[in-house]
Amino acid sequence: MEGDHRSFRVALVADRYVNPPAGEFDGLEILGEAGWGVMQLPAEDYPVELAASMLSEVADQAEEFARHGYDVVVVGERRGLTEALTAVGMQLPDQVRPSTREELVEFLADRPAPTAAPSPG
Amino acid sequence: MGVAFVAHCLLNQNSKTDGGASCPGVYSPAVDMLRSRGWRIEQMPCPELAFTGLNRFWGVREQYDTIAHRRHCRRIADAVATAIALRVEQGEEVVLIGVEGSPSMGVCITSSDATYGGRPTWPAGAPELAEGEGIYVEELRQALQARGIPLPRMMGVTTPLPDHDPEAERRALAALLDS
Repeated sequence: MEGDHRSFRVALVADRYVNPPAGEFDGLEILGEAGWGVMQLPAEDYPVELAASMLSEVADQAEEFARHGYDVVVVGERRGLTEALTAVGMQLPDQVRPSTREELVEFLADRPAPTAAPSPG
Repeated sequence: MGVAFVAHCLLNQNSKTDGGASCPGVYSPAVDMLRSRGWRIEQMPCPELAFTGLNRFWGVREQYDTIAHRRHCRRIADAVATAIALRVEQGEEVVLIGVEGSPSMGVCITSSDATYGGRPTWPAGAPELAEGEGIYVEELRQALQARGIPLPRMMGVTTPLPDHDPEAERRALAALLDS
């Protein structure tokens, strides 16, 4: 991993935190500042069949991260996510449904070090 | 403004090949510009991550240009094309942001060398770069054409290129969004 700056932390993030409606806090900004990679969950207005296809891709990739010891969490919720993860043999990761910026910051700060991350020093 | 369909790794540098992550998570220069100008972000899947995994080697187009990988890209592209079609029907302007130099996500520059294979020895920045699209971008273009959807304006971020110039990238993105 020489010269590689990855964080080994990946959040599956509901669309409303990536594209926040007016007046709601910006989850993507917080996740970016905290060094988390983001996998965006399908927008709520997508048809069920399209969302299921997208969630299947998210699950395939989330399983790859989890299997390699990356810390994988869920921010918010998306109907069909649990079923998509189950289909690849993965339980729903630790999840937060933050209603404030502070809740999300606190949740991220409390995460343990990913097992995939190189030991310091 | 509209909807920007962006390469997976713009929001998640953890998806990059070993040695390719330029920051911990979100590649903010491009993402920040899109959002500051009011563009909605929609992330496309990484075609390589699910197919060849996190421990994949750096690859060139020819290594990914197989029936099976094209089928995989086509499945992803079909879903993304359906999403783009939906946004176009809603009257949204759409742009696509890929990754130059990528065998999958390259828009104007991909990587190509028919002789690469076996034990990898070539370094990053080696002369495998070539003009052209990556496999996934090709499949997405065809999926959009099959639906009669106009091809969005598109470009790629240039972080993988040896001559990456953040300011030039910023100007190119601004020009794309303003055009």
